[in-house]
Amino acid sequence: MTHTLHRRGTAESFKNDYVLFAMSAKGVNEVGSKTKLKRFLEIIQQHNPVNMGDMKTGNSFITSRENIVNSTQDTSIVHGVFENREDLISALKDLKEADLGVSVIISGLMQDVHDCCSVAGVKPHTCETSLGVWGNTDRLPDEDILRFTTMCGHGQVPFNLVNKIVEDVKEGKLTLPEAGRELAKPCQCGVFNPVRAAAMVEEIMCLWGIHVV
Amino acid sequence: MGAIGLVRDSRGRICASVDQYECVDCGVCYRARVCAGEALYEPKPEWPRSVRGTFSNPLVEHKETRVPGRGTEEMKTNEVTGRFKWGEAGMAVEMGRPGVGARFSDIEKVAMAIAAVGGITFEPKNPLTGLMADKKTGKMNEEVMGEKVLSAIIELMVPQRRIPEIIAAVRKVSKEISTVCSFDLTTKVDPDGGIAAFELAKAAGIQPTLNGKANVGLGRPLFVEEANA
Repeated sequence: MTHTLHRRGTAESFKNDYVLFAMSAKGVNEVGSKTKLKRFLEIIQQHNPVNMGDMKTGNSFITSRENIVNSTQDTSIVHGVFENREDLISALKDLKEADLGVSVIISGLMQDVHDCCSVAGVKPHTCETSLGVWGNTDRLPDEDILRFTTMCGHGQVPFNLVNKIVEDVKEGKLTLPEAGRELAKPCQCGVFNPVRAAAMVEEIMCLWGIHVV
Repeated sequence: MGAIGLVRDSRGRICASVDQYECVDCGVCYRARVCAGEALYEPKPEWPRSVRGTFSNPLVEHKETRVPGRGTEEMKTNEVTGRFKWGEAGMAVEMGRPGVGARFSDIEKVAMAIAAVGGITFEPKNPLTGLMADKKTGKMNEEVMGEKVLSAIIELMVPQRRIPEIIAAVRKVSKEISTVCSFDLTTKVDPDGGIAAFELAKAAGIQPTLNGKANVGLGRPLFVEEANA
């Protein structure tokens, strides 16, 4: 369950990408955590998340934010995505103040996340890193595709959907923000960052389909 | 996954068809309602085909962990559970990720290569461990060997000093598999704020990625550990 760990991209492309999420521990502080997880969502909603969700209910592009907040259960893992560090820091400060007692986790550039924690007055307890992709990597699509699809750690954003969405933008069928939102829909948990996706579509679309031999 | 292709039916019409051998039952096409004719449906597979959905569709909750998805709570609740303690490292090999999928023959190959290092305990709460016929050797249940999943996580915990051994084992076996795998390393942050386990990975020739995940220790009650500091 490392659904936000293996996002790919350049350091620059991660500057607008932070995932903040919360859960309770099974058999320890699980019972009654529903109200705390609901409160978590209410707090982060005040800090301009560009996506939010819970795996069982869905993300904010396939259901309403109100439904996500009100459907929280003791076993939920609830998520919010931020496009800038100021929003992340202010959300973290409010969460520390609220002292909900559920586990809170952040995904992002490691050094930046540590710096944000320091500003918000919290301290990283346990960290996880990716040691990369191994094996028969010839089977992977182009890095331009992986930068999108790895934003859904459960692999629910198909490689071919990225192709189609970029083509749709080039043909004028979708705007960039619409493209970001369409790509975010299959990622049930709501950890896909539609703003980062829109920026990446814009970056690659002018050379899309051109192959240099 | 590439399991949906175009075929010509008995009446000569071109139709989209799901290749059941390649399909991992992730449910993405069904949920996306991409078929205008609403011909897509989700069958209720029986054992052993049923493992495809449990490892590929995040909406299916594993009975063992009660966590939807493929794995465990791992580091996400570590300040409460104390799963990873000082001096320990969590290591995980996510077979088939990103997006390629993995057959159990490849999963078994990697699990057995790690087990062969000796003294390895696979995470008992991980649903993949439950499918091992022999948890000491990593040998999988024969009944699932024909199945394919979007991703399955081989999860273990070792003393930090053994990180280079595990990296070496995965490095060697990764050249013998037909799919890809994503490799994870988890550890508690050292009392001085450093992360010694990541340095051990670097010393073994692996540069951890710039991005990662941090549990910020707000869960309660805190797990009380005999600190080594």
